[in-house]
Amino acid sequence: MAGEVMDRLFLILSTVCFLGGFLYVVAGIRSGAYRPSRVNLTIMGLGFVFQCVYLWQLGQLRGRCPITNGFDLLIFVSWSMVLFYFLLGPPFRVSLLGVFTAPMVFLFQVGALLISGGKLEATPLAERGKLDPWLETHAALSLMGYGAFALACVAGVMYLVQDRQLKRQQLSNLFYSLPPITALGRTVFRLLVIGFVLLTAGIGSAFLMKDRPDVVHLLPTVAVWVVYGVLVGWQLVRGMGARKLALVSAWAFVLPVLTLLLLH
Amino acid sequence: MGLVCLGVNHKTAPVEVRERFAFSKSALEAALQEVAGGEGIDETVVLSTCNRVEVYAVCESSDAGLAHLEGYLRDHFGVEKGEVDLFYRLRDGETARHLFRVASGLDSMVLGETEIFGQVKKAYAAAHGAGVTSRLLNKLFQHSFKVGKAVRSSTHIARGATSVGSVAVDLAEKIFGDLGKCQVMVLGAGDMSRRTAQSLMSRGAKSIIVSNRSYDKAEELAVEMGGEAIRFDDWAMAIPKVDIVISSTGAPHTVIHPDDVQAAMRRRRGRPLFVIDIAVPRDVEAGVNELENVYLYDIDALEAIAAEGRREREAQIKVCDAMIEEHMGEMDVPGLGSGGEGRGREEMGGEYRAAHE
Repeated sequence: MAGEVMDRLFLILSTVCFLGGFLYVVAGIRSGAYRPSRVNLTIMGLGFVFQCVYLWQLGQLRGRCPITNGFDLLIFVSWSMVLFYFLLGPPFRVSLLGVFTAPMVFLFQVGALLISGGKLEATPLAERGKLDPWLETHAALSLMGYGAFALACVAGVMYLVQDRQLKRQQLSNLFYSLPPITALGRTVFRLLVIGFVLLTAGIGSAFLMKDRPDVVHLLPTVAVWVVYGVLVGWQLVRGMGARKLALVSAWAFVLPVLTLLLLH
Repeated sequence: MGLVCLGVNHKTAPVEVRERFAFSKSALEAALQEVAGGEGIDETVVLSTCNRVEVYAVCESSDAGLAHLEGYLRDHFGVEKGEVDLFYRLRDGETARHLFRVASGLDSMVLGETEIFGQVKKAYAAAHGAGVTSRLLNKLFQHSFKVGKAVRSSTHIARGATSVGSVAVDLAEKIFGDLGKCQVMVLGAGDMSRRTAQSLMSRGAKSIIVSNRSYDKAEELAVEMGGEAIRFDDWAMAIPKVDIVISSTGAPHTVIHPDDVQAAMRRRRGRPLFVIDIAVPRDVEAGVNELENVYLYDIDALEAIAAEGRREREAQIKVCDAMIEEHMGEMDVPGLGSGGEGRGREEMGGEYRAAHE
């Protein structure tokens, strides 16, 4: 048992950080004293550092990019979400993205911990030599794309919450803590574009693999790519409106989740 | 040694009286030197704003110091007999507590407003620059800045908007973020719409379009605000390019209908539209709020938010006062007494006392 905990120490630490970050901001919002501060950013940052260390350890163990099973995959998507949060949150002043992102990352990582089972097994040395770098590129880019879509879902929910409060003219503590609604709308679109570009590159790299890509494996991913492609294209060409985009982004993430469940 | 404050503010004296005692910027330095040069006065700061005139002084004896300040005001501003009661006279700890409340916005007409903090800073800087402050007032005013900042950052005293204009600005910022890219359209050149538009422009709104039944009035307001006037028949054509509409036409029926806005929204490619209806009877049909990406607030909605803001701020007074008491305990200024037990409270102006107790 102690060995299993030590195996996953940094994952547990990062999960605790995301829970702590979430609770810290929720407490602040409830008391009405929340202001974007370095405290929350530091907690999220610490969680991210632990995630990175854990992924590195996992990579060493697997002898490859650590995306081999459902457990790895949940952690990798969680890591992607936090990465995009740091890339898009503070620079675009949508810092509260953290409070909405943290619980999702927490749930993903708790899910990973629950399904991780016993001691983590290292990849046998004999198999390590057979790895195809394009396969790893395909998996990593696709999952990073999914991470961006997950964050678009989070930002979409934030948009809908803010829209509802503005429409109903009932302004809670959360209203004053959330970013401007137009900033949220822009963030949703940015994340969709980033996710789509990454997924496109991910699918493209599948065709560069030594072996032909497995159609059963690739089809659901292509379906996700088509849906998000239509979404991005529609917004670019016709401009569906920020609210519709937020709503569709929030619901559309069901699709990547289903494909992940289906494939793993 | 004593610390005293002699002053009038919006609670103790009407504007006709306050304006007579106001120290002009150009005359401030001479006045500071004159007050400080009085017998038994060691240090002084004059705080003169549109809502208050207060003279803080460190003197050898509180009674003699207050008598000197009263004499100064009598000689320079011609204080009449009945006006003497309008002044509050604070001593020692009560003076410190009062300054802390002033710097925190607790003594302001708009509770928790932030402008006073800058005004206190300027008053102190002027006195410091004139060389009429020393150890005690330096320490007291520096501490008041610390208290003002702490009270504002740790409580909700400055939270939310308390007037229709500031609610409109807050909402606009929650919709658009930076108002620098926002274009405003005013329908009806009345006083209320003018003030609301001014609030938005002062927070950086890019430009303004004015439309009014009387084109001359529209032009007049447009010139005043550096904007553009359009004919009243053309306002619907302007909606696609504006982000905020302020309507206050005085028409007996609604002027803006959902169909007008829906047609405009198609050309806005999903950009939100903030409609502020401050007319009574209302100018904008309620159905406009049902349209996607359109946010309609009428005067009642804005007033309700402002009232909530005021209520929330009032509920914070006790918390702020408790914080100030903590800081009073931390104060270590020789000669100030324990803070709070000063005799000055008994001698404060009647209305002022009533408002504080």
